[in-house]
Amino acid sequence: MRQRRDTRTAYLLLAPSLFGISAFLVLPILVVAVLALQRWDLIGPRTFVGLDNVVEVAADGRFARSLLITAVFVAIVIPAQTVLGLVAALLLNRGLRGSATFRVLYVLPWICAPLALGVMWSWVLAPTDGALNALLGRRVEWLADPVLALPSVAAVTVWTHVGYVALFFSAGLRAIPDTVHEAATLDGAGAWQRFWRITLPLLRPTTFFVLVTQIIATFQVFDSVYALTPDGGPQGVTDVVAGRIYYEAFEQRAVGQAAVMALVLFVLLVAITLVQQRWFARRTTYDLAT
Amino acid sequence: MLGAVVTLGPFLLSLMTALKSPKQFASEPVLTPPDPPTLSNFAELFGERYDFVVPTVVTAQVVAVILVGQLLFSVFAAYAFARLSFPGRDPLFWVYLATLMVPQVVTIIPLYAMFADLGIRNTFWALVLPYVFGSPYGIFLLREYFRGIPGDLLDAAKLDGAGTLRILWHVVVPVSRPILATLAIITVVTHWNNFLWPLVITSGRQWQMLTVATSALQSQYNSNWTIVMAATTLAILPLTILFLAFQRHVVRSITITGFR
Repeated sequence: MRQRRDTRTAYLLLAPSLFGISAFLVLPILVVAVLALQRWDLIGPRTFVGLDNVVEVAADGRFARSLLITAVFVAIVIPAQTVLGLVAALLLNRGLRGSATFRVLYVLPWICAPLALGVMWSWVLAPTDGALNALLGRRVEWLADPVLALPSVAAVTVWTHVGYVALFFSAGLRAIPDTVHEAATLDGAGAWQRFWRITLPLLRPTTFFVLVTQIIATFQVFDSVYALTPDGGPQGVTDVVAGRIYYEAFEQRAVGQAAVMALVLFVLLVAITLVQQRWFARRTTYDLAT
Repeated sequence: MLGAVVTLGPFLLSLMTALKSPKQFASEPVLTPPDPPTLSNFAELFGERYDFVVPTVVTAQVVAVILVGQLLFSVFAAYAFARLSFPGRDPLFWVYLATLMVPQVVTIIPLYAMFADLGIRNTFWALVLPYVFGSPYGIFLLREYFRGIPGDLLDAAKLDGAGTLRILWHVVVPVSRPILATLAIITVVTHWNNFLWPLVITSGRQWQMLTVATSALQSQYNSNWTIVMAATTLAILPLTILFLAFQRHVVRSITITGFR
């Protein structure tokens, strides 16, 4: 009796979120698969074209290029922000006065709209009346030079996320008991040795968490890249996947092809998540309770 | 220290620029402080030409409605998952968790198609509907917390004859204030900052969000940096104030949840 009442109550409580999640997260995955088989220009009728879109996307070098650009972007951003974040956390955890304040300051960019930060940086990096060139006293085309554009956009992304990464490392560092380091010091381990042999291995769970979440997030980068380098940047060098999907669907009005690209990105992200989870599960985490 | 300069520098520079007259911006170096500081850029921003009143009001409305919906429906679902036993609970919870992996850029195309079919493109509902029914993320967060509420507390309320809604409102919500505040902050930040969906699903002024209006302003007037920086300040400042007011809470909630 109680059981049956619980069941009814539970489904009543779940009804709104069940509707929301089915309609706006699960159903879209099915719809995007259907759209991938159709030709549609956002307004007119949809016609079934089978695998034509797949063939066209495969033949379109720009999608392959955008995948490559995104991979390069991730390969610049992730190591840089992980290392810088770790260094910042090590400095913050030395217990200097004001560390708490700095911790708050570093996280500030994380709270702000990536689009607004992108617009802000597009001024900082602007060639003629931008702040950075004014400070340097020279004229560098940070965002318009095909060689500099991608690293510049990556630098802004790193700037946005370093504080967030540092925050996690900082929490991870505080979870390591002082006694572990003290014992190692007594055994004659130097600071460098302690870092490589003790701190870094003990931080492994934190490191994985940061890497997993950040890689997934960086693969989907759109807002800041869109604000900094509209239309894929000079000669398309900052044409990341999310941007390509957006342009293809909402500016080229080739919805079917964009849907194919979106599915490829989805499968890719699921694959990355699964690989990382297996990797995670394989590694034992260190038990600090003892 | 250097980190603080690098972090805060761009913010301060853009705020300074927002407070300068276009004339001063054009004639003096970047680092000179605004003299005298002027709010004329903001006045102009809210004036007839740029009309940022509309996007500010729209953004506030959208965020408020999503916030109420998220909190209410996430509490409902999380309580069901945490505290009630019913057939299909565990598989269903896994479905919810799995949806965490769905990226926004993948769903915007089908959502656009669905909303176009329903004829609600470029409406208030288009901005709000996908997010108002509770997020899998918030449900997961609250479920973990609700599982920790002592059973005695809930049983006592049940013995007193309280229905589920009464228990939720009088027992669960009061003891869960910290985690609800965390979810509230996450929700406000996420949706104040949202850009891609509003960009796609709205057109023209009527339902333009602040992020979209800022982006449009930049692409139209990007030599007019004092105005553009006033717009960025407007897109950033309210959250910065929220952040500074609740900094302890925000920093803690980031470390608990990863904040996404």
